Amino acid sequence: MEHLSDHGLLALVGRGDREAFARLYDMYGGAAYSLALRIVRDRDLAADVVQNTFLAIWTQARTFDSSRGQPSTWILTMTHHKAVDMVRREERRRAEPLDDAPAALDPEPPVEHQAWLGVAREQIATALARLPDPHREVIELAYFAGYTQSELAERLAVPIGTVKSRTFAAMNALRDALAALGMRPEDEWNTSTS
Amino acid sequence: MEHVDELIAGHALRALSSEDEERVVVHLAECERCRRRLRETEAVAASLAYSVPQMAPPPELRSRVLAIAEPVVAAPAAEAPAVEAPARPGRPRPRHGWWPRVSLVAVPAMALALGAMVVWNVSLRNDLDSSRDDFAHGAAVALPGVGNVVAQTDGNATLFAHLRRAPAGKTYEAWVIRGTVALPAGVFEGGGTVELELTQSAKPGDKIAVTVEPKGGSRKPTTTPIATSRSV
Ligand SMILES: [Zn+2]
Repeated sequence: MEHLSDHGLLALVGRGDREAFARLYDMYGGAAYSLALRIVRDRDLAADVVQNTFLAIWTQARTFDSSRGQPSTWILTMTHHKAVDMVRREERRRAEPLDDAPAALDPEPPVEHQAWLGVAREQIATALARLPDPHREVIELAYFAGYTQSELAERLAVPIGTVKSRTFAAMNALRDALAALGMRPEDEWNTSTS
Repeated sequence: MEHVDELIAGHALRALSSEDEERVVVHLAECERCRRRLRETEAVAASLAYSVPQMAPPPELRSRVLAIAEPVVAAPAAEAPAVEAPARPGRPRPRHGWWPRVSLVAVPAMALALGAMVVWNVSLRNDLDSSRDDFAHGAAVALPGVGNVVAQTDGNATLFAHLRRAPAGKTYEAWVIRGTVALPAGVFEGGGTVELELTQSAKPGDKIAVTVEPKGGSRKPTTTPIATSRSV
């Protein structure tokens, strides 16, 4: 199972292979939990998000279409969506400032087979830092704080059309900044082959 | 055809209004070019996931997650649990209220995990306040390996099941077990999370069971239940 690509693992999960499912959790559970925690800022809620994500993986792996991208993207996209949906129901979380580091939590060194994550994280942080402030702001408020575009328009006091075009420009800018660092997310977010 | 590039960026961040979301989904269904763009944009968005500090998940989360994959559709086999005998007479009941509250604290980890999911399911359907209200009036009872049943004080009960799709030619059937009698309470196919209003009301002391039956369901269980709840 060690040699399997993420696509191979997911295909096994789709056939009900519990060992493959466990391995997929060992590979992405940490990243999913860290993302969920960053968004919902509560350990119990973050754990619920991860559990719901893996329930969806278990029940939907069979229908995963490998032409639609990397399994890791699929997993983290689902995690993100479930976390954002949860934070929208838990309005109070948003009152907390964005850059309020979860001080009570102990950072965990990356798991061995995800050692590349450390490098990737630095590069992604660099790419984000290179974005113009309004671009970074719109991405962070939407992605990590769960603001909808109409909420963003209100908060930033700009027309909704501006929010839409700024979001589009920001995502393009992030893609270009990653590319400038030699990263092509669509091809690379696959821990098994890195 | 007018493409929806701007909306795709918002969609990948899950930030669209429901009208825009609908527009983009409708367009994606018929536009290969925009599906490709979405694939790229989602991958860029996923890179944001890797930018956060990595935290260790609580160790018990691993067991909760792996419990999802515990086999739940065993062929009717000897080792599968039989319908349990009715509760011993004289068992103390909570004195407050007509409907006994079942504490989820007492049930195993898997059931606990699924209990959390029921809250999730319900809060998806209602706003948070009204779902809390539901729970103030109802009791959630675990169906180990299957899901939960939430019974209301009026006897209406809803089954939340997380089962793989029933095998070809088979269906899942829910039962209200009253004493030694099994009353048919609805059939479902499984696959993803299923929410089933039981067609049979549940009274205090009843149990809920799920069996695998031939397509169309049976009037009496023909196989050993894959799960049986404690008394509701
Ligand atoms: Zn298009």
